[in-house]
Amino acid sequence: MDIVACIKRVPDTSETDDIKIDASGKDIEKSNLAFKLNDWDEYVLETAAQLKEKLGGSFTAISVGPKVWEEVLRRALAMGADKAIRVDEDVVSLDPGCVARILSKVIEGLRYDLILFGAQSEDFGSGQLGAMVAEMLGVPHATLVVSLETEGKVIHVCRELEAGALEAYSIELPALLTIQTGINRPRYISLGGIKRAMKAELKVISLDNLGLSLNGLTQELKLERLEFPHRGKEAVIISGLPRESAEKLAHILYSSGIF
Amino acid sequence: MNGILVVIEHRKQALAEVSLQVLSKGRQLADQAGVELLAVVIGKDALSLAEEVARWADNVLVVKSEELELPLAEPYQQVLASLIKERKPRLVLMAHSSLGIDLAPSLAVELEAPLATDCIDIRTEDGSILAVRSIYNGKVHAVYSLSSSDTVIITTRVGEFAVDESNRQGHIEEIALPFEEECEYKKFNGCVEQEAYGVDINQAEVLISVGRGIREKKNIEMAEKLAEVLGGVVSCSRPIVDCGWLPSDRQVGLSGKTVKPKLYMALGISGAFQHVVGMKGARMIVAVNKDARAPIFSIADYGIVDDIFKMVPELTNKITELKLKNSKG
Repeated sequence: MDIVACIKRVPDTSETDDIKIDASGKDIEKSNLAFKLNDWDEYVLETAAQLKEKLGGSFTAISVGPKVWEEVLRRALAMGADKAIRVDEDVVSLDPGCVARILSKVIEGLRYDLILFGAQSEDFGSGQLGAMVAEMLGVPHATLVVSLETEGKVIHVCRELEAGALEAYSIELPALLTIQTGINRPRYISLGGIKRAMKAELKVISLDNLGLSLNGLTQELKLERLEFPHRGKEAVIISGLPRESAEKLAHILYSSGIF
Repeated sequence: MNGILVVIEHRKQALAEVSLQVLSKGRQLADQAGVELLAVVIGKDALSLAEEVARWADNVLVVKSEELELPLAEPYQQVLASLIKERKPRLVLMAHSSLGIDLAPSLAVELEAPLATDCIDIRTEDGSILAVRSIYNGKVHAVYSLSSSDTVIITTRVGEFAVDESNRQGHIEEIALPFEEECEYKKFNGCVEQEAYGVDINQAEVLISVGRGIREKKNIEMAEKLAEVLGGVVSCSRPIVDCGWLPSDRQVGLSGKTVKPKLYMALGISGAFQHVVGMKGARMIVAVNKDARAPIFSIADYGIVDDIFKMVPELTNKITELKLKNSKG
């Protein structure tokens, strides 16, 4: 089976209490942030690696971004990808429709049975890229996939609905899936994997190579400005050493009739 | 400005709560702009649900199909594409639900319509439509303008908009639109409900809930001890189930359960909206988190900004002490 996995690099803002909007007003200051592979894409790469181990074929990882993004592609190579492609373009300034256009152009030129995306990204979280690419390529898709099983040219999948319910489909390949977290347990990268990743092919292409240009891509979503959210009411903060705040909280719980 | 079209979602002969939220927001926007609010209901139960939808919408379009019971992306896309081409609504609204996530992006590509997903606010400014999205773990909001086009599509964050009561009696119109119920290369095999394993967190009066901050599976024991002294149960946020540390029936949130206990204590949970929609109805919410800016503190009644590994054992001890003291009278 020939698999294509599209992944991205994101800033880790989950535990940062000091986000600043930069001078342009249209992005955050990133110099103090750590970057990582998008959480959902860990599961994408594990899915692709398992399918390749089981069924053979090729596993290509693609990303659209500047040179530093190669770190996530190297990670993909270490997890089992045999080829990586980086489209050299600053993805942050492009809307999802443009990125989808670029990715579908890259994928068009490859052999594929299965295309995998993360169900969403951690930074912008629009969750729309995969299904857009599927429509552009004219292949069937399922989003929010939490389990999958292949049977010849068919893939059986379950996708997540609300409140723990699932929807089951059988889809003819080629197909595109967006992968939800929890579908598998992403592997730790082995030393052998890292060695292979350093030697493996990482191809860099430009929009020009794809017959595309920035002017030719229509931005349908224009970022006007960033704002800090109004947080509304805040919790009553109980302060003090752990022993003191624990005591205060225990009394609050007691007087509220919790125990 | 042409009208606003709301796509209605329904399961088991009932309108989805998210569709009432979208209808309410759609009504507000239509009133502000002085335009008509259209709604489309598709499938076997469409006609019987139309009357309820007409409490918000001026005009309810009913697309009946004997075969199609559940909201599935492909047949919905076919119906909506031809309907939107014909009626040219200025704005199409639907929920960023499991259906909306599957459906809206491909519909937008097919119609070449701008799309903004998972929006937390929609504003109109000088005739153009602005969509507000929550980005970077909810720490920043981004305001987008959508390029001018006959139709733009916006999906709305689940649980973000309140349901306003409305008692209109909108017009109901059955329309005939040809579409295939079955897609030849994608076969629907039915829905699977979640299995129950044992503990029903919906029944618990006290939930001690753990998130990513718990760091390791063995640390859940600390939360269990606290739950025990309070006569409660341990629940969790999604990452804990993803790691396989607790079964999925302990998960609170959008893809898990909606709970309303007397006390909900969030330990090391940042408070992503997917989690918050499942617990904001709790009578009392207490959050313990190291990150003072964590969104959980804007939903909690009481907060402690500290390390859960220092706090929780202290709290368990204090409660045990107090209980002992009180029992001795």
